[in-house]
Parts: sequence; structure tokens; C-alpha cells
Amino acid sequence: MKKRIWRILAVVVILTSLLAACGGPTGGTAEEANSTDLQGTLTISGAFALYPMMTVWAEEFSRLHPDVYFDVQGGGAGKGMTDTITGAVDIGMVSRAIKDEEIAKGIFWIPVTKDAVFPIISAENPFAERIMAQGLSQEVIHKIYISGEITTWGEVLGDPAISDEIHIFTRSDAAGAAEQWAKYAGGEAQEDLLGIGVNSEPSIVDTVSKDPLGIGYGNLNSIFDMGSGNAVAGIMVPPLDVNADGVANPEEVFTQKKEAMQAIADGTYPSPPARFENLVTMGKPEGLTLAFLQWILTDGQQYLEEAGFVPLTPEQQTAALEKLE
Amino acid sequence: MMQQKPSDPLSQGSRQTQAFLQTRNRRDRTARKAFFGITLIPVFLIIVITCLLVIRAWPILSSQPLADLLLGEVWKPTNEQFGFLPFILGTLWVTLVGVILAVPACLLVAIYLAEYARRSTRTIAKPVLDLLAAIPSVVYGVWGLLVIVPFVDDILGPFFHRWLGFVPVFSVTQPTGFGIFAGGIVLAVMIAPLIIAVTFEVLSTVPDELRQASLSLGATRWQTISKVVLPRVLPGIIAAVVLGASRALGETMAVLMVVGNVPSIPTSIFDTAYPLAALIANNFGEMMSIPLYDAALLSAALLLLVIIMVFNILSTFVLQRILGKARI
Amino acid sequence: MKKNPFAKRHIIETCMKVIMLASLILVTGTLGLILWTIIKNGIPAMSWEMLTQVPKGGFYMGKEGGILNAIIGSLYLAGGGTVLALVCSLPIALYLKAYLGESKWGSYVRLALDVLWGIPTIVYGAFGFAIMVSLGLRASLLAGIIVLALIELPIMTRAMDEVISRMPLEVEQAALAVGSTRLEVALRVVTRQMLPGIITAVLLAFGRGIGDAASVLFTAGYTDRIVTSLFRPTASLPLAVFFQLGSPFPEVRARGYAAAFILTVIVLIVSFGARLLSSRLGKYTIK
Repeated sequence: MKKRIWRILAVVVILTSLLAACGGPTGGTAEEANSTDLQGTLTISGAFALYPMMTVWAEEFSRLHPDVYFDVQGGGAGKGMTDTITGAVDIGMVSRAIKDEEIAKGIFWIPVTKDAVFPIISAENPFAERIMAQGLSQEVIHKIYISGEITTWGEVLGDPAISDEIHIFTRSDAAGAAEQWAKYAGGEAQEDLLGIGVNSEPSIVDTVSKDPLGIGYGNLNSIFDMGSGNAVAGIMVPPLDVNADGVANPEEVFTQKKEAMQAIADGTYPSPPARFENLVTMGKPEGLTLAFLQWILTDGQQYLEEAGFVPLTPEQQTAALEKLE
Repeated sequence: MMQQKPSDPLSQGSRQTQAFLQTRNRRDRTARKAFFGITLIPVFLIIVITCLLVIRAWPILSSQPLADLLLGEVWKPTNEQFGFLPFILGTLWVTLVGVILAVPACLLVAIYLAEYARRSTRTIAKPVLDLLAAIPSVVYGVWGLLVIVPFVDDILGPFFHRWLGFVPVFSVTQPTGFGIFAGGIVLAVMIAPLIIAVTFEVLSTVPDELRQASLSLGATRWQTISKVVLPRVLPGIIAAVVLGASRALGETMAVLMVVGNVPSIPTSIFDTAYPLAALIANNFGEMMSIPLYDAALLSAALLLLVIIMVFNILSTFVLQRILGKARI
Repeated sequence: MKKNPFAKRHIIETCMKVIMLASLILVTGTLGLILWTIIKNGIPAMSWEMLTQVPKGGFYMGKEGGILNAIIGSLYLAGGGTVLALVCSLPIALYLKAYLGESKWGSYVRLALDVLWGIPTIVYGAFGFAIMVSLGLRASLLAGIIVLALIELPIMTRAMDEVISRMPLEVEQAALAVGSTRLEVALRVVTRQMLPGIITAVLLAFGRGIGDAASVLFTAGYTDRIVTSLFRPTASLPLAVFFQLGSPFPEVRARGYAAAFILTVIVLIVSFGARLLSSRLGKYTIK
């Protein structure tokens, strides 16, 4: 019995040291090898919004450079920022603007894509037609989500006869989408938003679709179906009345994902709630990290549209590339 | 050591035996000392975990009065407002609902298994309970999402609203199925195996003679149980329930997925809540990016640890006394 | 005196029996419901791919790939944690048996183990994270293994202790009577006699370890690759379930159910395996 235990332990110790030897404490960014090809491992973490895209980029880049490996995690924009600051990762995915304190700590950032948050209402909303025709102005959104002055759909439509309450939904988990929506609504942070908190994006879309009097918000990819480009079943996307003229102008209405993406790209959709998704590094990136970021800004952009993200305009691309120099 | 003539084969043998005996005794004593160290590990671990949490939580514990932290209602980390009350109450509500739902059924099952069941029933019941205990937390969470949340939304909500809606605690306050009730139901199932097992053990310590005596006087089985057996082991049963409650207090993932995670003070079981454990799990990623946030979350962990340790120690003391050396 | 079946106490007796049986059925039925839900939702999303491939580029948008990274990661994590816990558990359990049977210190150690057993895994995870931050370590397989070992230690030791303390006194006394030291009794007799129980304890702890999410959430990280070094992050099945369930894409959520299914199957296999092993290995013990 004793011998067996020792034998098992010996095997375990050997296996463990083999595992450890295979990797060793990798520092992360590796220098370019003597061969012309890149090699090394990049560790990335951060916003869930960018996570699916980053895995696509990682795979495509690895295809071009087979000796480069990626470890990509989610965890949220806050984690991405923190991990970058503490050196736990090489690149952080941050789905919001970078704060001054973070820049002061040495954070370097570049935008890599744009996406946006849209308001949603249930397809069963009794007043859907009128809402879609009128649109929601920024002021109305402020009064619903921040100040609480508007509590009925009647007040939204300017029709005192309608007394149905608005069921306001927001995100309870820390979400970049919520923060963007808060900023658009005139608040400062996610906590300023009123409404019943629902945890996670699929849940808020689901909840609004089931509640005829509900209103909520969500990211581009959650709202428009990947395949067909239409709004996901059960919800509708009220136009944002950007020019506040009380009418939903054609350029403010989006029924198809493509239209929405176009508006985000050319800036007709306001920012916030549209935003640049940023990648951050500690200090200016070099070596493998730099090569990867440069690739994302050039060849990498071609993968964005299919995934439902908005590519940077050529000017934005050039500006970012210059920043990397 | 005795001196013997080296040529004496018998004495050679006995010298070897004595040497061997001494080695074995020496080994025994060395092992005793060495292994004693290993038994220090559990105690050592408890101390280390508590200390580390205190150290990391210190920045917030020292900068804000404890009353503000524990009784504060506002949770806005960006404003340096860390009021834990919504989370403490959320934890308590969800645990209470879970325990209230679990205890009656669990006690009945344990009593049935201990007092009535045939061997065949017990052999089926044991794997069932083992499996329930082995199912991972996230799987319970998935089940909760797919089955319990819609159940609360479509069936329990309207039912309570219709018949008991006048009672504030039972009023349906928000249109989703997420909330304390859903969390409580999932928790009840998760702590059931534990409560059943401990209660069963406790009931098994009652000597059969007592039961026989009662039955021979003409009492029914149930009368025997309710008047003779149960009063005798009441402390043990309470301890089992407390143990179950302490497990419920700490359960994280399954509850997180169904309880709604909104930091407000609950007023009804259909409200959403945000237990302490869910707070820690949800926000670990943000921990370092806002000042004092990591200290706040780790102080939540410390609070959870202390409460659970107290519950645990109390119930374990009682159970160790009742069950003697053969602990569960 | 003839029994009056309508006497109040007999009615109560029958009622209580019915209620108790109903409760038992409720509990058993719930298990069935849980398994059924997992199977019903997990199987449609299952495919050979899921088990044999790692996530490919568009996996999180519904494209190809599988969760082999999480399966292997979980096996490494729980395997490493179980081995590490075993190294400490078995000596503690044997020591408790050999020397501390009735002593005061023994009951303190047992109390400490019970307290450790009751500490929620999220606290262990937070503790692990606090250490990692203090030492500047990154999320890695090793960190996950250590935290899992901490969690499994009380489970394993408690289970072993329980089994070992049920050892038939005659066997132990016989060994002592022929002159073994307590150490030898522990190492040679107890382990052999209680081997089935010990293995059950180990497998029990393994099953709990592989299913735990709160502990690895902070410490093991996540990645789409199969981990090759102790110092790099690794995926795990519980986290695969958790993350995929939060995706806006229904295909990805379906994969979350499949991951939950795979995890449940593994736990079931370990559970039944433990039972089977303990009865098969029982032939070496003295009944």
C-alpha cells in the first residue's frame, strides 16, 4: 500500500514538472524570433462586448502567424483595465472612453471598432406605431431614465389620455452598454439609471419582449438578428429623435442592421450611445503586441462587419495607426 | 542493549528483533511528531484566511464607521458610498425563504427514512440524495433559469397575486420571474440533501429500545416519533437546520443566476435581491479599477465568512455532542 | 382492546405517512426534473465537435468549435486539486485515527475541518484572489489547483475520517494485539481495510471540485486554448456554462446548456464510479 502511494505520487510529481516545464512563467510579449515570423503568447482580457470579436481576430492572426498564441478572457471592461494596469495581461478590451486617471497611470489606447446601444420596446406595445412615428428624443429619455418625470406612455407621446405606466428596465450587472445609455440620458454613471435591474443582456432583451409596456436598451448585436439583420423577434427599435423635431425622420429610423451600422459609422447616430471600443496597453505597445494591433487596424477590420461591428472609417484608421508610431 | 555471545543464533535473532522493535517505535514517535504538524493545517488555514481577508478589507473598515457600512442603504462605489444593508438583507431573505421551504419536507423525508422506510426504500433514497448533493452549482443555476424562473413568473406570481396579494410580503412587485422566491426554491433543493442526511443521523442515535417501549404501550408510530423521538433530538434537528442555513448563506452561483441582482432592500419575496455572495462574484472584475472597491468586496467576503463560521461552529458543537465520535 | 381504526391518532398516523411519502416523492422527483431539464436542453446542442474541438474564431457568435478546452481544463484543475488535497488529507485522517481518537486536540481538529467545510467556495476564491494580487501573480492553472485543493481538503478529510472511524474495532485490536505500533496500524491495516471508503472520499471531493465555479472564477482565468503550462490561465466547464449563458446569441446559449450537460455527465460518472469502485475493492477488506 505504501509503495503504491509513493508510486502514484512519483508519477504525479513527474507529470506536474512536465507540465510546468512545457510552459514556465511566461512573461507575455515575446520578441520577434530570428526567423522573420512572429512568435509568442498574448494575454488579453476585458469587455464582454469585444470578446467575440477578439476571438475572431485571435484566430485569424494565428492563422497568419502560427507561432503566436492567444489567451483571451472576458470579465468586463473594468477587469480589462485593471489587468492591463497591473500587468496581468498584455492588452485590455475596454468598451468605454478612457479616463484621465487611467491615462495618468500610463495607459495607452487605440480605438478599433465602433458599436452602439439602442433603445428597445416590446413589439406588443399598444402604442408602438405612434412611438415609432414620433421617436424618442434625448430629453424624453432623460426624463424616463434619470429624472423620473415621465412615468406613463401618455407623457411620452404627449397624450394625457393614455395612463399606462412605463416599465423601465435597465442592467443590474456592470455593463458598458448601461454606462453609455446613462451618459446619453444625461447621467454620469450606470447607477444613475432608474428602472428594474435585469442581469445580463439576453435577459433584458427577453424581459422587454415579454412586457408590452416595457422599455429597455441593448447593444447592436443583441437587438438585431445576426442572420437576417432584422430586429430580434419580440422587440422593436424606436428611433432616436436626434434633431428633436418630434418626428422620426427617415435617417433616424433603423429597421435593418445595415442601416444602423451605417449610421454609427458616419456619425449620424449620436455618440454616446454609440462608442468606440478601445484596446489598451500599458505604455506604448511594442513587438508582438504592436504587430497585432497594427494588423487589427488594417487587415483585421475586414472581419468586423460580418460579426456585427462597425469598422473604422479610413480617417479613423489612419489616425489610430499614426498614434501607434 | 543486552550483551550476548555473537555465535549464539538464538541471541542473534532476538537482538535483531529488539533492534527492529526499537526502530519501529522510533518510527512511530517520529511519525507522530511529523504528522502532528499536518494536523495543524486546518486550524492554520482558518486563521490565515480570516487574517488575509481582514488585512485586505482594512482600508475600508478603517476609513468608514462600521455602522455606516452595515446599515448604509446606498451602494454607489464610484461615489465611495458602500452601504451593505441591501446585500445583507438580500442574503437573509433568500436564505430564509430557502430554509422555510426546505425544512418541512426535509424533516418529513428524514423521519420517514429513519423510522418507517424499508431497507429497499433506503437503498434507493441514498443515491438520490447523494446525486442531489453532487450536482454542481452552475447546473442548479441552469435548471433555475430554465424551470424555476418561468415557474415563478407564470404560475407562482399570478397565484400569489390573486390569493395573497394583499399581504405585502407576497405582493408581486416586478414583472420578471427572477427574485427571492426563485432563489429560495433553488436553495431549498440544494440544501435538502444536507438537512436530510444530518437529521437522519441524529434520529439514528435514538436507541431502539425507546421506540419499542413506546410502541409496546400502544402508541402509534407517529405518536412515538412526535412525543418520544423528536423531543429527544430536537437540538440536533435545529443544528441540522442551522447547518443547512449556513450552506445557503454561502451559495453563490446558482442563486446569482436567478435572484435578479439588483441592490435594493427587499419588501416582498417576489422582489429581486442581491446577496453578498453574488455581489462578490459579479464584481470581481471591476475590483481594482475603483478605489476601495476591492476592500469593500473583500469585507463582504469577511462578513460572510464570520457569519457562516458562527453558524457552523454552533451547530457543529451541538451535533458533536449528540452524535458522539461517529460524526457525519 | 380492539384497535379502532378511526381513532384520531390512527388517522393522524395515516395522514403523516402519506405526507411523508409525498415529500420523498417530491425530493426524488426534483432530482429527476433537474436531470431531465439538463438532458432536454443539453442534448440538442451536443455534437461530436463539442467534445473534441476547442472554440474556433467565431465560436462566441455561433460558429464552429467546441469546449474541449473547458473539459480538459476542468480535468486538470480538479485532478491537480484532488491530488494535492489527498496528500494532506490522508495523513490528517490517518493521524486522527491513529493518535487522536478521543483526545481534545482531535476534536479541535475535527471542528476546524467542519468549519473549513462550511466556508463557501466564493470566500476561498476571494482569498485566493487576494493572495494572487498581493504576490502579483496572474490567473493560472496552478492558482486554480491550489484553491480547489483548499476546498477539497475538508471534504475529503471529513469523508475519510467518517469512514475510518467506522472501522471494525476487532481488526484494529487484532493488529495491536500482535504488536504493531499505532503508525503501522494506520499505514498498513487501516488503509487496506478502508480503501474503498478512502477512494469514495477522494472521488467525492473530485466531483465537488470539478463542479465549482466560484473558486476558479477569480483564480484560473479563462482561455480558448487547451492549457499547456501550470502558469497560464485555463478554461473550466462551470465557467464555460456561466459565460456562454450570458451571450446575446441563442446558439451560444445553447452551447452553455451542452456544457452543463457534459459537466453533469462527468459528475454522474464520478458518483457512480465511486460507488462501483468501493464495492469492487471491498473484496480486500475483512467484513
